[in-house]
Amino acid sequence: MMQDQEKVLKYLVSVEKLAEEILSDKREIVMLDRRRNHNREALRDLSKSAQQKCWVTIGSVLIKHNLEAARSLLEADQKQLNIDINKLRSDLRVKVNNLRDLEMQPPVQGLMLVPLSREETQGLSMSNLIPS
Amino acid sequence: MASIAAAQVQEVRSITRIERIGAHSHIRGLGLDDSLEPRAVSQGMVGQKMARKAAGVILQMIREGKIAGRAVLLAGQPGTGKTAIAMGLAQALGPDTPFTSMAGSEIFSLEMSKTEALTQAIRKSIGIRIKEESEIIEGEVVEVVVERSAGGGGARVGRLTLKTTDMETNYDMGAKMIDSLLKEKVQAGDVITIDKATGKINKLGRSFARARDYDATGQQARFVQCPEGELQKRKEVVHTVTLHEIDVINSRTHGFLALFSGDTGEIKSEIREQINSKVAEWREEGKAEMIPGVLFIDEAHMLDIECFSYLNRALESETAPVVIMATNRGITRIRGTSYRSPHGIPLDLLDRMIIVPTSPYSHQELREILNIRCEEEDCQMSADALTVLTRVATETSLRYAIQLITTASLVARRRKAAEVSMEDVKKVYSLFLDEHRSEQFLKEYQDEFMFNDGSGDAPQLMEVSQ
Repeated sequence: MMQDQEKVLKYLVSVEKLAEEILSDKREIVMLDRRRNHNREALRDLSKSAQQKCWVTIGSVLIKHNLEAARSLLEADQKQLNIDINKLRSDLRVKVNNLRDLEMQPPVQGLMLVPLSREETQGLSMSNLIPS
Repeated sequence: MASIAAAQVQEVRSITRIERIGAHSHIRGLGLDDSLEPRAVSQGMVGQKMARKAAGVILQMIREGKIAGRAVLLAGQPGTGKTAIAMGLAQALGPDTPFTSMAGSEIFSLEMSKTEALTQAIRKSIGIRIKEESEIIEGEVVEVVVERSAGGGGARVGRLTLKTTDMETNYDMGAKMIDSLLKEKVQAGDVITIDKATGKINKLGRSFARARDYDATGQQARFVQCPEGELQKRKEVVHTVTLHEIDVINSRTHGFLALFSGDTGEIKSEIREQINSKVAEWREEGKAEMIPGVLFIDEAHMLDIECFSYLNRALESETAPVVIMATNRGITRIRGTSYRSPHGIPLDLLDRMIIVPTSPYSHQELREILNIRCEEEDCQMSADALTVLTRVATETSLRYAIQLITTASLVARRRKAAEVSMEDVKKVYSLFLDEHRSEQFLKEYQDEFMFNDGSGDAPQLMEVSQ
């Protein structure tokens, strides 16, 4: 009896832990995307501005910085953000399947497939095999 | 163009609204519980517990992808639910698993050879799962600003503000994006998606938050929730296509229209080989998954020896579907030979099959089936009429009794009764002959019919050589 309870508790903890991880990953993606969009807007504004220097916030500090340096900083950040988001998304797939496995549900069909290349997708949708 | 035509076709259908009821339209599944035990009456299935349980085991094996390339034979007397079990199996498999149903005699056609017809049927039963992935920007439009330079000419500048429930951002747009936004008539409050790779804009509808903006809205106005989460999303869509569909599209003489007209003709084996190697390549790269489906051949005794040997060989291939055959024959001649064999199927093929027998229904089960059919055909039947009908079913055949349901309900409607009574059933029983009475009648008056050879019930030579 005691053992059963412990087993159930352990199971529930593992399910909840995984589910919480998935939720926090999703929040993380939203946060990263928000930053990515802010960076994009900033880069856009930088390319339009005619000044030599610009203000950059780092944490809560405002710094006047060289325009070119600021741009390269932003671009590096952007690259890292893209990598992070893609990694989170790929990990999310595995985690969702693991969670479904724990909850005794069948895995999502075709989740782990490698997507077709753009030409292949285009070819199939041109011939009405898949909806475009 | 195609979409307009499709819309028109749909309209025509909704006006005429023809609803026909098929012989097995009441079947919704195999009627099994989670532990594969058959329930007495469930999902339109009645009785036949052993066969249903066997079908359930087969179903489980198909789901786990374990019995691809094997065959199942449903054998039993006429009217014992062989087709019903196959239909139930198809329903239980769900829409994702390809299920092809054909009658054995369908392969005899002037347009294509027997083996071609079988190959097409087999390839219709093998699905390929592929995934399409695209990066999209999805959000509710907060504001669209398009600025024109004072002179009228020159470059236009535009800005689009999009939001989700979690964030909001600005996009600067070039001339091309402005054009397509104007073309789609995008305005503040619309929920749109923009494909990152192609720049294609898709209007999903208007946001609920803006539902009260106007008093009068067009019929097409569709309201959707403001999207959640990040703006730039990754959209993954999984499609299932059958090998046959890919074959048809790549069979150059016809093009994709052949898919809809149904007239595909023969497909060259080189094309099939090319497609096989492409699919094999996709599988190697993890781009495609094979879904072995189910090919159901009703009246399998109509196949001839060539088909059987072809099937024998086709089942060996690693991409073979599960072949389910149904037959109501006992020991009979194999078509195309002079040899006799159980079920009219050669022994070597029979050896590869799992044979599931169906047995005649009991009295109570017949009553239950007739009751279900009455419900399906929207026909109120009184209890004693049902009893009579069950008697008829036991003495003649289930099919005949089912046919009496519709006719009796028509008679009942004629005399403006809400319920079919015993008299109605008796009346149609006297109006329409069953096979026994028909046979008796023929025997009695044989001399008065044309072309009577006078030999009574000497068997005629029916077999037509190919």
